[in-house]
Amino acid sequence: MWSFSNIANLVHEVLAEHFNPAITLAIEMVIAGVSVIGLFAILGLVLVIMERKVSAWMQIRLGPNRVGPKGMLQSLADTLKLIVKEGMTPNGADKLLFNLAPFIAMIVAMLLMAPIAFAKDLQMWDLNIGILYVSALSSVTVISILMAGWSSNNKFSLLGAMRSGAQIVSYELSAGLSALAIVVLTGSLQISEIITSQANGWWIFKGHIPAIIAFVTFIIAVTAETNRAPFDLAEAESELTAGFHTEYSGMKFALFFLAEYVNVFIMCSIAATLFFGGWMPLHIGNWHKFNHVMDFIPSSIWFFGKTFFLIFVIMWFRWTFPRLRIDQLLDLEWKYLLPITMFNLLLVTAVAILGWHF
Amino acid sequence: MFIKNYIKNIFSAVKSLLVGMKRTLYYFTHHKEIITQQYPDNRDTLILPERFKGEVVMPHNENNEHRCTGCTACELACPNGSIKVITKFDISPDGKKKKAIDKLVYHLELCTMCNLCVEACPSDAIKMAQTFEHSVYDRNQLTKTLNNPGSKIMDGVE
Amino acid sequence: MKGSTIVFYLLALLTLVCGILSVSTRQIFRAAIYLLFTLIGIAGIYFWLDYQFIAAVQIVVYVGGIVVLIIFSIFLTQQTGERLPRQKPGRKIFSALAVFCGFAFTMLQVFQHEFTGTLEEGAQPSVQNIGKLMLGTQNGGYALPFELVSMLLLAALVGCIVIAIKNKEEAK
Ligand code: SF4
Ligand code: SF4
Repeated sequence: MWSFSNIANLVHEVLAEHFNPAITLAIEMVIAGVSVIGLFAILGLVLVIMERKVSAWMQIRLGPNRVGPKGMLQSLADTLKLIVKEGMTPNGADKLLFNLAPFIAMIVAMLLMAPIAFAKDLQMWDLNIGILYVSALSSVTVISILMAGWSSNNKFSLLGAMRSGAQIVSYELSAGLSALAIVVLTGSLQISEIITSQANGWWIFKGHIPAIIAFVTFIIAVTAETNRAPFDLAEAESELTAGFHTEYSGMKFALFFLAEYVNVFIMCSIAATLFFGGWMPLHIGNWHKFNHVMDFIPSSIWFFGKTFFLIFVIMWFRWTFPRLRIDQLLDLEWKYLLPITMFNLLLVTAVAILGWHF
Repeated sequence: MFIKNYIKNIFSAVKSLLVGMKRTLYYFTHHKEIITQQYPDNRDTLILPERFKGEVVMPHNENNEHRCTGCTACELACPNGSIKVITKFDISPDGKKKKAIDKLVYHLELCTMCNLCVEACPSDAIKMAQTFEHSVYDRNQLTKTLNNPGSKIMDGVE
Repeated sequence: MKGSTIVFYLLALLTLVCGILSVSTRQIFRAAIYLLFTLIGIAGIYFWLDYQFIAAVQIVVYVGGIVVLIIFSIFLTQQTGERLPRQKPGRKIFSALAVFCGFAFTMLQVFQHEFTGTLEEGAQPSVQNIGKLMLGTQNGGYALPFELVSMLLLAALVGCIVIAIKNKEEAK
């Protein structure tokens, strides 16, 4: 059976034959970069139209229905519009930082793509500390928001940036601690090992109660970390116009917008990897026949299916719940999520030591 | 006690959130509930909700009679002065003077469709209509006289 | 030149240039951002050395934690956007001297130190090894310093609570 690692090896061999190692490395980097950018563009298009349709149907509306069949090409038209718009820099803004901020948001999102396993053998960088790497880099996202908010020279932007700073810094804790629950069960931070440890069942089933609690807290913390409603205080339209990206227009705004969606995708794929086995098909213990049947569905379909289901859940949150106030937001984190995740971490350690998981 | 309250709090919160999510999931899966009207595509079959308000009108019956007594209650009730009642004195057949309206001037461009005038009217002379395609090129056309020319008050309305 | 050498020089250049800029700029917010890039450059060098754990910790602690706190305190205290006044020449000379002395001292130490080569395999910088060493009590384990550091953090936490707690009489 063909697999992605074969293709990658083939490309590597062909390149190595013709060029010296340094140029081969450079060309491979370019190929990886281009494919990531392509993935970004497709993800942006798909997620935006998905969000608009989901929101419309949840609010008993039709949603976009003019461009293309059933409005499915709407996001393409939006992209065109954003590309031809002028990207303005306000007077009195710190020009350098103002123009740098959207690219930082984008670069961080790109770097976060590296350790994700999209399918069997399709992973850019299977590093030893996969989960730690993801949680480390996702904490850099806040820098781009703070930068954008400060350099716009606008009080709404600054307020939005400060809110999102407080929010991301606090919710990172419970996101990390919930992810740690699965790391304790697996005994490894490496993404590929976490996935292979779920060959006989996903952790959400194998780890029963603590895994389910960890999953719920993880999804809540991740929703907050990606600044999405009901935690979208950083860009609360009704209070702060558009929060930290009030002053951005055209492609620079589009980069922020895209980075937000890509971050949602990345966080959902991490959740899918930790709790639902990434590309691992649905396997149940020793039912070899059942497992064999499940193996016929390609691993990439499993991965994207799970990820998009989680993205749908996060969109579902967004279009159901009203926005929290800033004090409620911090209450939720420090008085509820953090104690629960810490208690859950103790629980999961006990379960792992006593071998109570399946 | 504190712990009990804390846990109860969490469970009730989760429950209420799930109730909301159930509702939105219902709407998400039941597309026949969609209420969007695709105006102007469906201009002929447009269904407006019952409480939709488009402008203030004064109904007349077939004899060109309305129910307005000229009491100016609507003018007083209107928060932004969209209605102006111009009264005159009719001489009734038995020689008495009687107050009546000459014109009831209505400024559509000022009206916020708040319905207060309709509620203030003691004799149900005006009501809200559902027309809404009001755009014109000259804003003088938005100042309307609600009573038809030559109309008079219905018998028996005091 | 090998590809990896080029990468190293690029990272070193980023670190050095941003480090110099962060002390020479007159806008305090920009100084914080340049400091951020310096720290990212250092994390990049750790990645280049394959010390992934240290690199990730560097990003978590310094970039995601300390720089964010610095930026926050700038937001809350400084009149951001305004340029700081130029320093007096005397101060400049003094600080340049101090930097030079520190640099010379470090270099002296490096050159005087005799690096003894060894044929033994280096310990793998994997998370398992780091965890075992960090909590080990024998064979060069770091359990005692680790616990001491945690005591320090605990003291800091208690101190924070003491400062933040409302005095009942004051509240009245
Ligand atoms: S609907 Fe309201 S605003 Fe319009 S005329 Fe009546 S009282 Fe005035
Ligand atoms: S419309 Fe009604 S409230 Fe207004 S003047 Fe006539 S009777 Fe009075």
